[in-house]
Amino acid sequence: MLETLRALGAGFASAFALHHLGWALVGTTLGTFIGVLPGIGPALTVAVLLPVTFNLDPISAFIMFGGIYSGAMYGGSTTSILLNTPGETGSIATAIDGYMMARQGRGAAALTTAAIGSFVAGTLATIALTFFAPALARAALRFGPAEYFALTVVAFTTVSLLLGPSRVKGLFSLFLGLSVGLVGIDQLTGDARFSFGIPQLLDGIDVVILVIGLFAVGETLYQAWQYGRSEPEAVVLHDFTGMSREEWRRSWGSWLRGAAIGFPLGVLPCGGTVIPTFVSYATEKRLSKEPERFGHGAIEGVAGPEAANNAAAAGVLVPLLTLGLPSSATAAVMLAAFQQYGLQPGPLLFTSRPDLVWTLIASLYIGNVMLLVLNLPLVGVWARVMLMPRRLLFAGILVLASLGAYSLNGSLLDLAILYLVGAVGCAMRIYDVPLVPAVLGLVLGPLSELQFRRAMAISEGDITIFVTRPISVVLLLAAVMVLFGSRLLTRKLTTVEAGL
Amino acid sequence: MSLPHRVLASIVFCVAATGVAAAQQPHLDQLRLIAPAAPGGGWDQTARVMQQVLQRTGIVRTAPVENIPGAAGTIGLARFVGSEQGRDDAILVSGLIMLGGIVMHRSPVTLHEVTPIARLTGEYEAIVVPANSPFRTLADMIRALKERPEALSWGGGSAGGSDQILAGLVAEAVGVPPGRINYVAFSGGGESLSAILGGQVSLGINGLAELEPQIQAGTVRALAVSSAERLSGLDVPTLREQGVDLEFENWRSVVAPPGIGSSERQRVESVIAAMVATPEWREALARYRWIDRYLPGEKFTQFVAGEELRVRTTLQQLDTGQGSGGTLASVGAYPTFVLGGLAICTIAALVVGRSGRGVAAARRPQANVSEPNPESRTPSPETGTAWWIGLALVANLVMAETVGFVTASTAMFWLAARAFDDRHPIRDAAFAVIMAISAYLLFGRLLQLPLPAGPLEGWL
Repeated sequence: MLETLRALGAGFASAFALHHLGWALVGTTLGTFIGVLPGIGPALTVAVLLPVTFNLDPISAFIMFGGIYSGAMYGGSTTSILLNTPGETGSIATAIDGYMMARQGRGAAALTTAAIGSFVAGTLATIALTFFAPALARAALRFGPAEYFALTVVAFTTVSLLLGPSRVKGLFSLFLGLSVGLVGIDQLTGDARFSFGIPQLLDGIDVVILVIGLFAVGETLYQAWQYGRSEPEAVVLHDFTGMSREEWRRSWGSWLRGAAIGFPLGVLPCGGTVIPTFVSYATEKRLSKEPERFGHGAIEGVAGPEAANNAAAAGVLVPLLTLGLPSSATAAVMLAAFQQYGLQPGPLLFTSRPDLVWTLIASLYIGNVMLLVLNLPLVGVWARVMLMPRRLLFAGILVLASLGAYSLNGSLLDLAILYLVGAVGCAMRIYDVPLVPAVLGLVLGPLSELQFRRAMAISEGDITIFVTRPISVVLLLAAVMVLFGSRLLTRKLTTVEAGL
Repeated sequence: MSLPHRVLASIVFCVAATGVAAAQQPHLDQLRLIAPAAPGGGWDQTARVMQQVLQRTGIVRTAPVENIPGAAGTIGLARFVGSEQGRDDAILVSGLIMLGGIVMHRSPVTLHEVTPIARLTGEYEAIVVPANSPFRTLADMIRALKERPEALSWGGGSAGGSDQILAGLVAEAVGVPPGRINYVAFSGGGESLSAILGGQVSLGINGLAELEPQIQAGTVRALAVSSAERLSGLDVPTLREQGVDLEFENWRSVVAPPGIGSSERQRVESVIAAMVATPEWREALARYRWIDRYLPGEKFTQFVAGEELRVRTTLQQLDTGQGSGGTLASVGAYPTFVLGGLAICTIAALVVGRSGRGVAAARRPQANVSEPNPESRTPSPETGTAWWIGLALVANLVMAETVGFVTASTAMFWLAARAFDDRHPIRDAAFAVIMAISAYLLFGRLLQLPLPAGPLEGWL
């Protein structure tokens, strides 16, 4: 412990060098900016910047990359909250209640809780990274395909809380997402499925395209469709500053729970930030005394997932730094960046280059503070985006959404799919079909099929593998509790109500 | 601008800009490097190292990298053959894994269609077991494999990739039918590595570069490397030393588009030849632990033909990728469940939607306000707003790759703005132009994202 503190102290001493602080600032600014844009993620940005940073010393480069990484996680919430257009999967959960808050004129409060929540969770997760990284990484290795399958089952149960008022329409949405997830190469056998002979479909439909299509393009089309039919809602901005005392009271518990959920799930490489954010959302709704406020602008629904997604981002660094395992696209690029400097991240990195590792960790703390300082004053500016003329706002969203989708693969087909998904998203809004189950289906469906079949391959077709391994059993039981526990609870409540 | 002019212009530029006549002349003004994989993988790293070396040494003035990921590189290959036909300013990074992808996904486009340039690098593979495994040597492992092949799970990279090919070759070499080995495909090195480290699989098979730090740290035990000779600094016996007559490496190469003339081909070849001779390239090879496997021209073509045969035979024996793609009959239990569920939910939603319409309307009064009061809306009532947006999207689709990003985005922006409110056509046009140009400069130029370029972009 003392040794860790001493090493961290040395890391801080190095990170506080003026030029290192400068690179941290460049990274967090760039990251925030990139996070705001739909489709352009930190992985691509770091890859593009690699050749530029070749002349930098590795420590400066990694401080900048760390800043980009946490900045992008933070920036994603802005468009989700203000425009209902999450640019990546980690901020979909934020959009559900964040956008409702923005429409009620509480956009500034939503942005503030997201900023402070990101800071709190990012800092807590970095503390956990500092002290427990090696132990956590070893624990995560106990997760095999059977455990990951059980984890996706738990994540699926959160869908039951997001089905919306009509269960049938919610399930329809879920199966729609699962069906889209079928397209592409079967990863275990290499067979093509439902690709209809189109080579671009071999890799499936990118989640990012589905998300931007359903949300950004779909919302634009829906607003256009509504235009001749109903009054445009006037958005009244109550204030441009932060949260009320009541909102603070509601938020802090959610931040802490979000961090506690996000960090361990980030350490486990499974489905990126989708599972942590939605598990956090479901937890908040479950624990709330007024679950009916969720979906109508509950601040806990913004605070929890935003904290979870930043904590998960720090969690991803645990296997990368301690074991050299990249568990996300960004981590893979960071690994490539390590190699560019002739460094091998892995079990020996902490001993071979402690200066680099500890300066990077120290700069994560600094980056978190910088993000907060950078973003809190911007909240008022961003909130005013809602006052822009709608025609310019939506035209701008279309241009940026198209740019993001095209630049994923440089393919016109992706653009066509984006618009098609947008039309579907508009139709789903018109017929009151919830969008979120479809996204969860697309992300979780292929993941859980793959892990299930991997587990079955390892056990040579013996299905008891899921109930003979302790972690898997616990997770599956938890899933059963979530599904049926709530039903029992509701039944009890209805009997009580009937009795009254 | 024709090529001689371009070369001339770049020489003039070089002289004028630096004022040093002796500065090394670029062989080419621009060479686009296409990596058929996502950022972070082996092909992407190869492309980005080439970019650094080519630009730093001045062999090529600009060498932008484009990523076209998917399906073991076959998506990138198909796009490369389709859209770069006859162009001499683009090369595609390719390699062994792409051969596997072509066989597995029955790619209509193969490496026969492109112009071969050269093989560049190779990477050895290693077979490892978790630190607590009962297998101490390769012989232990082979004994267990012969006894009951299915009982050993092999964790490695994607199906049909180099790891699975090597697994098949090893099985065949020791007399076990490759079709019987229990290969569990993981996506990417990180995932399979954590399964190996955690002891989730019996053994792991992966690129040596990824495994070496773990071997050095003792977190995994290496049973064999696929090189011909023992490697310096790594105390691991080769396959051949242990009686498995096999050597194997995951090679990477570059190819040029189809349909280029012999002088163009020579120019690209000379660029690559100049690149591999630079100290910067040697340095990069050492840094990434790649083996120098430079092999240009006709010999490279013959090499590819030999490898293609080996990959095809092995994959057939492994029985991967043999299902019929795209048809419903062969899809298995999970897809049937999903599609069945979708059908049931669709029917249920239609039934419920019909009977429960009143409920929905009551719940959602906002959306069903039928006749809006015409007085209260200042913009002219426009029922076709959604159609205008649709038109904007179609316009962008049609125009993007013909007239370029800026023009297409300007049109889309203007049409979409007009859909909501048609009272400011000129002001909106100005906004549209500013938005499109600044987005292009920011993303296309500064971040070097692949945006469709037309004449206007060339001028910008």
